[in-house]
Amino acid sequence: MNRRDFVRLMGLAGGATALNSCGLERQTEKIIPYLVPPDDGVIPGVATYTQTTCTECPAGCGASVKVVDYRAGKLEGVAVHPVNDGALCMRGQASLSRLYHPDRVQTPLKKDARGDFAEISWDEAYDMITTALKASSSQGFGFKGQKNTKTKNVFLSGRTSGTLSELIDLFCSGSAVERLPEFELFSYAAIRKANETLFGRAELPSFRIEDADFMLTVGADLFETFVSPVSHAAQFARAKKNSHFEWTHVEPHASLTGFQAKRRYSVTPGSEPYLLTFLLTKVSRMNVAGDRHIADVIEALPKLTDRGFAEKTGLTVEQLNGIAESLLSARKPLVIAGGVSTTQAVGFETALLAGLLQWAVGMIGSTVDFDHAENYDHVGAAGDVVELSSRLGENGIGVLFVSNVDAAAGSQATLGLENIDKAGLSVGLTEFMNDTMRQCDVILPLSDTLESWGDAIPKRGLVNVIQPAVEPLYDTRTTGDILLQLVGRLTGNTPAASYQEFLFAKWRSRYGRQSVETLLVDGFLRRPTTRTAVNLDHLATRRRLRSLKITDAVAWPILMVTPSIRSFDGRSGDLALLSEIPDPLTTITWGGWLSISQADAAEKGLEDKDEVRVASSEWTAKLPVKIQRGLPRGVMMVQCGSVKPVPLSIDPRSGGVIASLEGVSIEKTAMSLAVPIMSGSQSQEGRKIIPEPSHGGERHHHDPEATLYPDNVYPEYRWGLVIDLNLCIGCGACVSACYVENNVPVVGPEEHLLGREMSWLRIEPYDAKNDHVEFQPMMCQHCGNAPCEAVCPVFATYHNPEGLNAQVYNRCVGTRYCANNCPYKVRRFNWYDTKRPSALNPTRNPEVSIRGRGVMEKCSFCVQRIRSARDVAKDRKSKINDGEVTTACAQTCPTKAMVFGDLQDENSEVYRWAHSERAYRVLEPLGTSPGVHYLRNKWKNDHA
Amino acid sequence: MKKFLAISAAAGFFAFFAAVFLALGADWYRNKRAPDQPIAFSHKIHVGKVGLKCETCHKYTHQSTFAGIPSVQKCMSCHAQVATDRPEVQKLSGYWERQEPIPWNRVHRIRIREHVFFSHKRHMKADVDPKLECANCHGEVQYVDKLRRVSSLEMGWCVSCHVSKGASTDCLTCHR
Repeated sequence: MNRRDFVRLMGLAGGATALNSCGLERQTEKIIPYLVPPDDGVIPGVATYTQTTCTECPAGCGASVKVVDYRAGKLEGVAVHPVNDGALCMRGQASLSRLYHPDRVQTPLKKDARGDFAEISWDEAYDMITTALKASSSQGFGFKGQKNTKTKNVFLSGRTSGTLSELIDLFCSGSAVERLPEFELFSYAAIRKANETLFGRAELPSFRIEDADFMLTVGADLFETFVSPVSHAAQFARAKKNSHFEWTHVEPHASLTGFQAKRRYSVTPGSEPYLLTFLLTKVSRMNVAGDRHIADVIEALPKLTDRGFAEKTGLTVEQLNGIAESLLSARKPLVIAGGVSTTQAVGFETALLAGLLQWAVGMIGSTVDFDHAENYDHVGAAGDVVELSSRLGENGIGVLFVSNVDAAAGSQATLGLENIDKAGLSVGLTEFMNDTMRQCDVILPLSDTLESWGDAIPKRGLVNVIQPAVEPLYDTRTTGDILLQLVGRLTGNTPAASYQEFLFAKWRSRYGRQSVETLLVDGFLRRPTTRTAVNLDHLATRRRLRSLKITDAVAWPILMVTPSIRSFDGRSGDLALLSEIPDPLTTITWGGWLSISQADAAEKGLEDKDEVRVASSEWTAKLPVKIQRGLPRGVMMVQCGSVKPVPLSIDPRSGGVIASLEGVSIEKTAMSLAVPIMSGSQSQEGRKIIPEPSHGGERHHHDPEATLYPDNVYPEYRWGLVIDLNLCIGCGACVSACYVENNVPVVGPEEHLLGREMSWLRIEPYDAKNDHVEFQPMMCQHCGNAPCEAVCPVFATYHNPEGLNAQVYNRCVGTRYCANNCPYKVRRFNWYDTKRPSALNPTRNPEVSIRGRGVMEKCSFCVQRIRSARDVAKDRKSKINDGEVTTACAQTCPTKAMVFGDLQDENSEVYRWAHSERAYRVLEPLGTSPGVHYLRNKWKNDHA
Repeated sequence: MKKFLAISAAAGFFAFFAAVFLALGADWYRNKRAPDQPIAFSHKIHVGKVGLKCETCHKYTHQSTFAGIPSVQKCMSCHAQVATDRPEVQKLSGYWERQEPIPWNRVHRIRIREHVFFSHKRHMKADVDPKLECANCHGEVQYVDKLRRVSSLEMGWCVSCHVSKGASTDCLTCHR
């Protein structure tokens, strides 16, 4: 081709391109108004809030749903709620995406001959079920009084409470269906069984941490998954503000909760009963509670010298005596045994002795509250499912209902619900397909909590409302509506036209009209409880203790299967956001891992990410290793739901699970795996990022505020955030809230492996002395003299007149100079346009830009919230008052460890905190003058 | 050869101007022309002749970021009786009878609006003298039948007004 041809062709191509891009066709965009506007007073673009209940775990936190244009956009805790007091945990925040999850079951399904599911109508589904139920009863099966008949219809459900529980009873009694105890993998069966033995009450009391002045926790992961984590965290924060509060945590493994305690001791796994026996012996000698018979009751317990107890437990004599002393000198002590300590071979003994200790020291009725016991009334134990499996195997079940249960959750081979296909007809009621549901013949899709009416009674004396925030997205029903339909079709007589009507009738008769109004508006209702005396059954306890055999032969090494703060018992694993958020202890995001102790790692020559083969007699898996500080030698951990299901066994005494495998072997393979560990290093490199509590006011060699630039002037506000490390428990609720509020993309494991995480806010674990780990939330520090601003060539980031380090996305050209110059490493770069499932679009916050490829982003101090607060303030022609605007992280913090506000307002909370003598700023000597202050922890690091 | 060059140069010269005119025309067609609407609704009649207030139909101007487009029901609340013989009104009642919403074509569109957070409410309630009127941005709609965009809605246009009225020009006022 010669030059001329080339030029000619180029001209042609260029012209064609230019004409194409001009395109004469106007890109029209439609505006479709309402045909008939709804008369509910909803103004387009203006948010309303609906009070309901979070159902991600059984704790029963109140959730307030932000609804804009009929779309649920964010969950917040219900203010002054007795359980969560305005906060939500990481899982609660993420549970919004359950509603819009693309994998939801959308219509009733029926399994065909080939095992595939085909859509059917609700009528067809109801007909199949009623026909099967009628057939089984016409054969004479399952009627009351005919207990000898072999075949029965059964109803297995996940934990329910309140009116739904009543309705299930109504349905079961009227339709010849046997209601089974409800299924929870972690049902606290050992504790409930122990309390039944001791006090004749198979209940799980609530713990009043805020009233205690000394707390001893044995294995209980209070802030992660144990019963009511947000409530525990909130109470802990209130207790810790009291300067007399002391907390000793004893655990056989390493947990996030443990690292928050004032003193954390590692106990030999399986030796917790010895620790409690030691304390009981001391208590009985001191005769604190005035129960003179305690000594008699415990006479059968092993009698060892102090040194003997120390050897058994792995603690020193001084440590043991220290605990006993604190316990005996405390005015209002509290002992909680739970978590891994009650889901092991000696879990029942641990729970029993802890209950006895609670009685002996007089905690029952004071810090251990049976009057407001947690509602596990209908919950059975994991063992019930094993029994059901064997009944199914004997062809003993006609119609099987499985409602809202993944009994195969973590599907432990010896525990999972098996033989479902042997039932005459198996009916699954669920929102998502899972291993249990896939075995059912008919699937009835359930509405999400945010689309449903209902109520919940998480504990005695409290009723929560569940009310719909949005219209149902798909052809789904609530469990209540399904049962009412079935009752109607079977008996020709429906108790109510809809579950909503049924509920309101029940509520009115139970609480009265006035209180129903309160319930709907506030989201909860306190109910009077009857004070009942809890008394120790001395004889039964003594008899039980005599037959108690504390087996202390643990086969090493031991593998503990713990519930996870991110996926609980595995059920929250459906939510991608929770895989994206790092596990607070290890900072691992996607995939499973095996935590091993430093000692074991050194012995086996293992490093982080090395692959090992873990094997017990019935289970084997290949997993990457993560070395965990604080974990004792011979103890390993995996998290429920993140690894190949581990076969768990059942404790025959309580029916609860034994979530550990003994005598496992680990063997190093030649591989090193790609594991997304987000923390580059857990060392502070001497930079005093979290300074020692004792060191106040370090002196710098130069004035850190000295600058060549003109001083910043803030005419109206200087926004600032203060984080109290005394209260922060590293739970990561703030991280989850930030993701949801700010449309932060979920980018997946491949990007994480390249170090390209997008979280604006992260929890950094740092190694401290004595095997301790400290946690610090880190986000954009909104520096007064920000290193990022000076290097931006296009002025896309600058310091605004309100003290915000602004990032203008449509100005950013993606040089990434700012991220390189940021000493806090908080800036995130969009390497790609993140593709989200379009079903999740409604969860996007319409107040925040979606950032495209090639753009830098970071924490904005929730500027959209500042703007809307200003909007409200301007309407009344005043400034924004203190407390009117807060960031998403601060709002959801279970311990209220964060305060946001105007640093120039001397009457503001944030001003008081920032001028506390504990206040410091990270890397202050650099002269960045951050707008984020931290407060030092009050508890000195005296862990051992 | 020389002749060929001369002709090419002349052709190129005119082609350049033709292209410029074409581009200007295309820009006008795309961005400034009043779009055809499914119903030839006239602001001249409703505002100029009948004297309706803007907020009568755009009811959220003082309450929300959106001004609001009236529902078909709102139109029919008058047009069930008024001017029912006009062909355009019959189109409207056709939508109502079919129970279809009217697919209006957007006239005012901010080009990069995914990055711009504009609030009608804040502007209507702005504490300036004289008060902002709808016409400041949308033009004197009472004189036109077919509505078109009269302001560029580009950032320079926004900022010039913000500067002259003393409103904030901090980036975060509109971008976040």
